Amino acid sequence: MSMRSIDDIFCEVFNVEAGALGAGFGKDTVECWDSVRQLALAAAIEEAFDILLDPEDIMGCTSYDAVKQIVTKYGIEL
Amino acid sequence: MFLGLDRKDPDRIAVIDDSGEMLTYGELCQASAEFARHLTYRTLIFILADNCNGALIGYLSALSNRVVPLIIGSKTPFETLYEIYQPEFLWLPEDRIGDYGLKEVVYATHGYALVRTGFGTPDMYDDLALLLTTSGSTGSPKLVRHSYRNIEANAENVAKLFGLTAGERAMASLPMYYTMGLSVITSHLYTGATVLLSGRSLLDPVFWKRLKDGATSFTGVPYSFDMLAKLGFFRMSLPDLRIVSQGGGKLTEGMWMQLAGYAERKGIRFIATYGQSECTGRMAYLPADMAKSKICSIGIAEPGGRLSLIDEDGNESFEGEASGEMVYRGENVTLGYATCLEDLLKGDENHGVIRTGDLARRDADGCYYIIGRLNRFVKLYGLRISLDEVEDMIRSRFDTDCYCSGDDGHLDIKLTDSRVADRVPLYIEEKTHLFHQKVRVQVVDSILRNEVGKVIEYEEYR
Repeated sequence: MSMRSIDDIFCEVFNVEAGALGAGFGKDTVECWDSVRQLALAAAIEEAFDILLDPEDIMGCTSYDAVKQIVTKYGIEL
Repeated sequence: MFLGLDRKDPDRIAVIDDSGEMLTYGELCQASAEFARHLTYRTLIFILADNCNGALIGYLSALSNRVVPLIIGSKTPFETLYEIYQPEFLWLPEDRIGDYGLKEVVYATHGYALVRTGFGTPDMYDDLALLLTTSGSTGSPKLVRHSYRNIEANAENVAKLFGLTAGERAMASLPMYYTMGLSVITSHLYTGATVLLSGRSLLDPVFWKRLKDGATSFTGVPYSFDMLAKLGFFRMSLPDLRIVSQGGGKLTEGMWMQLAGYAERKGIRFIATYGQSECTGRMAYLPADMAKSKICSIGIAEPGGRLSLIDEDGNESFEGEASGEMVYRGENVTLGYATCLEDLLKGDENHGVIRTGDLARRDADGCYYIIGRLNRFVKLYGLRISLDEVEDMIRSRFDTDCYCSGDDGHLDIKLTDSRVADRVPLYIEEKTHLFHQKVRVQVVDSILRNEVGKVIEYEEYR
């Protein structure tokens, strides 16, 4: 899997262009970021990378950067 | 005083919010008295509520001083409501005052402020106590009018059905602008218990820290439990938890069994409830000892209430096996709706009886099961969405014919113009806040209607 996949997931869940993603993209800056979307995001990541996220990591999926870091922890190379 | 707050032990902790601030019953009474010194007459206010102490003080003070609040979420768009109902004051987070270009702060406490809007004092029905929206967070102008007695009766009934005592520490994480969220708060304050008020999402570690901090009950909507399951709730040690309660729509059978099994293993009570905002949040419940035998039943009427069914021929029955539209009677049946400022003068239009619009079946033991709806609403993620309203929105925005339906997980839209199909889910999200991936669009050649214009629901469109 490549970086593109994470970007795709974010773009789909939050309905943004890839250009909007980056260090500032997270729970505190994205208005529609709520628990429904965060869970959809986590589920899409689990599916795309065939991993099962720990509860702490699902809770940790609070920004673009955090998600990348979490995915790396599961041995996924980005 | 509202909910008899002044008759509780003044030193007992009434509420703790996410900041960790605790307020005793005595302090709530003082806050209410202080509020009354700044707002000395009956009028209409909007409360822009987060689940925090400041918002709660506004609610309790208003109700104790015969000031009528409309409670909405602090992030709910309310321009339409504001224009229609013209509140004389807003009770809002201090850091939001600047957003509305308002200047005259009358009084502020606990991060919230009472701000004058420039609108006048409306005439209102003497027994009108509280207004809530029917739809949660969409800012629809249709409001439910509650009397003082409605709220107290609901608190009494709910306290009775759960057997609440002053020793409870209730996790109150459903929004207070949402009828069931408010019902959790009022029923526990009525009992003299402690409310753990939380505005945090279930995906926030703070929520879990608070749940583990001695919470004796948790109340959620179906989606809450999907999320709890995903986050390992069923494997977690929560020694203080005694009650798990659910409302706000139908659980799947799988989740129901998981909750019932969990409760049995832990020796705690799982209590499913049913309610509508038209009845102050709660109307029926399934006693915990029936959780495993009456799967997905809403059970029986809450204490103080009465359920019945009206069949196709218009015959009403109160017992025995039957199905039909479910009717509820009780003191928590609200006064009626408001759709304009003048409606705040209206009296009691329901007289303690409401046709729920839900189709139900009653078994031989008197337990009710919801089997469908007469009114076209879906409940998704705590949002109550009117299918008729959504259709109107789509037709007026996109000039396409459409038909909406839905289940407990999705909103299904059939429409005839393929060119707009991509834009519809995002438009629905913008208007109703429903996550666009929960909207399923299907393009069809035409929407088939019968001679009176009613849509014929074919199993499959071509």
